[in-house]
Amino acid sequence: MFTTYDLLDDVLTLRDMVDRFFDEASTTRRRVDFPYVNVYEKDDDIVIRAIAPGVSSSDVNVQLADNTLTIEMNRKEDYADKPYLRKEREFGSYKKSIKLPYYVDPDKVEASMNNGILTIKLTKHESVKPRKITIN
Amino acid sequence: MATQVAKRTDRNLDKKDYCIVPPVDIYETDNEYVLKVDMPGVPKENIEITFNNNELEINGKIDEVYTSSDNLTYREFTLCNYNRKFLVSDKINVEGITASLENGVLTVTLPKREEAKPKKIEIKAE
Repeated sequence: MFTTYDLLDDVLTLRDMVDRFFDEASTTRRRVDFPYVNVYEKDDDIVIRAIAPGVSSSDVNVQLADNTLTIEMNRKEDYADKPYLRKEREFGSYKKSIKLPYYVDPDKVEASMNNGILTIKLTKHESVKPRKITIN
Repeated sequence: MATQVAKRTDRNLDKKDYCIVPPVDIYETDNEYVLKVDMPGVPKENIEITFNNNELEINGKIDEVYTSSDNLTYREFTLCNYNRKFLVSDKINVEGITASLENGVLTVTLPKREEAKPKKIEIKAE
């Protein structure tokens, strides 16, 4: 079928584009909660890094329960009642849970804070590692 | 803070134009201006602060441990070098500028010059 050019078609296309932008927005733009984490996996080790500037190690609480690692931190405001000229940083309490892909050894969890980055090292538990079964 | 950190997805860290503008808080007291800059992942020796022509420039080179994406399975942030410039007024005593780094937060203290500090004006009795 032949159609003649209609200016209204272009207008409608534009409207569709705008509609699509807002319709898909919630799925394409994902909301991430602070603290931001990166997860690295290699063989039997997992390394989790979280951004935590201005948080001292005593204000971080890392908990491992039921294969879920929970990071809790409290970032205190480092100045009080002083007239500020610029305020861009965020403060407050944050909590994040990460589901781990396998059962980790709770005795071999290492956590360290270095230059505002929290690093947690986890290792796969012996009981879930593959083992050879001997045939009688 | 996080928007700035998360925004950068480029891995080309050598180019100078790929850098994070770190979030900063500035506050003022009677004697000084204080800058607090969030720069997670930068060791003390990689921070360079220069003062030139009333321009305070902060450069932070990120520790390479945090930029590698080997074995990365889930990402929410990308770290990169930090760079930010501030235009500073003449009221600053340049020799007295000090800086310290704690838990990834850089604190730069810019003391005011004597003549810029607030003075109390005495009222003369007639």
